[in-house]
Amino acid sequence: MFAYIRRRALSALIILLVASVLIFGILRLAPGDPAVAIAGPDATAPVIKAIRQSLGLDQNLAVQYWTWLSGLFTGNLHHSYVFGSSVAALLGQALSNTLELALGALICAVVIAVAIGVPAGVSRRPGSARTANLIDSVLYAVPPYVTGVLFVLVFSVALHLFPASGSGPGPWKSSASLHALILPAVCLSLPTAAIVGRFLGSSLRKTSEADFVRTARAKGISEARLVWRHILPNSLPPVLTILGLQIGQLLSGAIIVETVFAWPGLGQLLVNSVTESDYLTTQDILMFAVLVFVIIQLLTDIVNNVFDANRGKRNL
Amino acid sequence: MKNVADTAIVVSDVDEPASRAVTPSGRLLRGFRRPEAMTGSIVILFFVLVVLTGPLFLHYSPEAQSAASLAPPGARHFLGTDELGRDLLSRVIYGIRVDLIVGLIAVPVGGVIGIAIGLFTSTNSVADTVVQRSFDIVLAFTGMVLGLTIAALIGGGLFTVLLTVAIVNVPLFGRLVRTTVRTEMGKDYVTAARAIALPTRTILSRHILPNAIDPLLVQAGLSLSNAVFLEGAMSFIGLGVKPPDPSLGSVLRDSINFMTVSPLYAIAPMVVISLLVVAFNLISDGLNKTLLNA
Repeated sequence: MFAYIRRRALSALIILLVASVLIFGILRLAPGDPAVAIAGPDATAPVIKAIRQSLGLDQNLAVQYWTWLSGLFTGNLHHSYVFGSSVAALLGQALSNTLELALGALICAVVIAVAIGVPAGVSRRPGSARTANLIDSVLYAVPPYVTGVLFVLVFSVALHLFPASGSGPGPWKSSASLHALILPAVCLSLPTAAIVGRFLGSSLRKTSEADFVRTARAKGISEARLVWRHILPNSLPPVLTILGLQIGQLLSGAIIVETVFAWPGLGQLLVNSVTESDYLTTQDILMFAVLVFVIIQLLTDIVNNVFDANRGKRNL
Repeated sequence: MKNVADTAIVVSDVDEPASRAVTPSGRLLRGFRRPEAMTGSIVILFFVLVVLTGPLFLHYSPEAQSAASLAPPGARHFLGTDELGRDLLSRVIYGIRVDLIVGLIAVPVGGVIGIAIGLFTSTNSVADTVVQRSFDIVLAFTGMVLGLTIAALIGGGLFTVLLTVAIVNVPLFGRLVRTTVRTEMGKDYVTAARAIALPTRTILSRHILPNAIDPLLVQAGLSLSNAVFLEGAMSFIGLGVKPPDPSLGSVLRDSINFMTVSPLYAIAPMVVISLLVVAFNLISDGLNKTLLNA
């Protein structure tokens, strides 16, 4: 077990190192000098030189890379001239907004997945599995920018139920911000809900065939109690793994959903820094995004492995 | 990023070639006869037809502006016009064309590169490790983040989208081929081929690769769907196809500001993107059910 964790952690570390070199290298290859871009068209040579110095761009690449990498760990990031604030502060604020959105989406995904998966898994009517399958396919496939615009069109423009954009003041502090969270969170959650719902359905079907279910039925337990107390808990482990894997996809989807709803999170910060050619901020956010994704994948792999190991033991 | 594993497809032990009762093309045909795949194919064929015949029935170029901005649907403009008085029907149809171009160029290019890499490195343990770790790195970026990285490097545009879609597909196809090589390597026909001293290259490409066709076709459907998704997403955030060239994603984004005035402006690209994405997915679904779970 520990050997496995060590091996996976080592390979994750190597992936991160290579990715960091790639991100750093790629953005150094990008055309244009960030200092010139910041200084503007009328800047004199000394001004540009001063900016280069303040950003550390006059040092050699190895030193720049090391400063950047250690800054990522200590939170000592540079100052973004484009956004007029330190990147650490920008990242912190954006991250908290994105986490709020992702957490909201995760909750919605679980609720929707249960709503789709449980009927599909336990109902013995022949059409129910097919209906759930169809709903799943559509929810999974339709891109979040489409559902996002559709939600705005229906719930904001036509029904005036929810605001079309923007995070309310201070996350989790007012009902207004929670209100603003609902549309983007549901929109972000749909593809995840579809996948988790499908897995939940098939896992429930498998559990329903187990002997203990037959025994419980024979003892005259009510159908609802059987489903919620016995079948569902026993079907969850594989579903939780899938849910874990989907967290990475949620963060990727957040880039789009944040653009649709003008949600000031990491995705929007990344898109803005790319469009504004703020290379230094871009490289920080990219590295951060890759870091989060690799960590989530590592954790999911480890959890998966633990489950597999336990299953193996139980079978013996 | 979507891949085969996401949709709960377990690449089952691929049949020995000899045990196949039907020819590969016959099996493929049967896959397309499933209701899902049939529906998907009809939708895609319809769009291909519309794109090909578009120039015959479209009266306006997608970039031609006119004074009639945000006109409602009518005889002159079937879907109405956008804020610059451009014909929405022709913008949407040219947008579909962009999606089909991205899907039909970038997915095969990325797929073939992935297949070649996966196939020929899988038998050499050092090369295999290096390649698989590189695939991990590409996958760690996920589609959108990769697209933004490339856009940061070379700027937005159609080429950026093509490059992103191609690169995203390399590890997806590469992994599938590798899995097949791994399962097939120990089988008797490979041992037999080795015994008559066939070069490894020939064994891999002539005898093992055909066994990977089924999962690869299923992945191709998903990848096409994902290509439409990524093109739309990149254009939606303003880093895909450059204005004034039409793309479904940018038409959709522009429509947001005019939703109260002309809701159809938003609805047309929404319907078309959804149909394209769902249709490719359905084809993949149908093929998956016949080819992999048969």
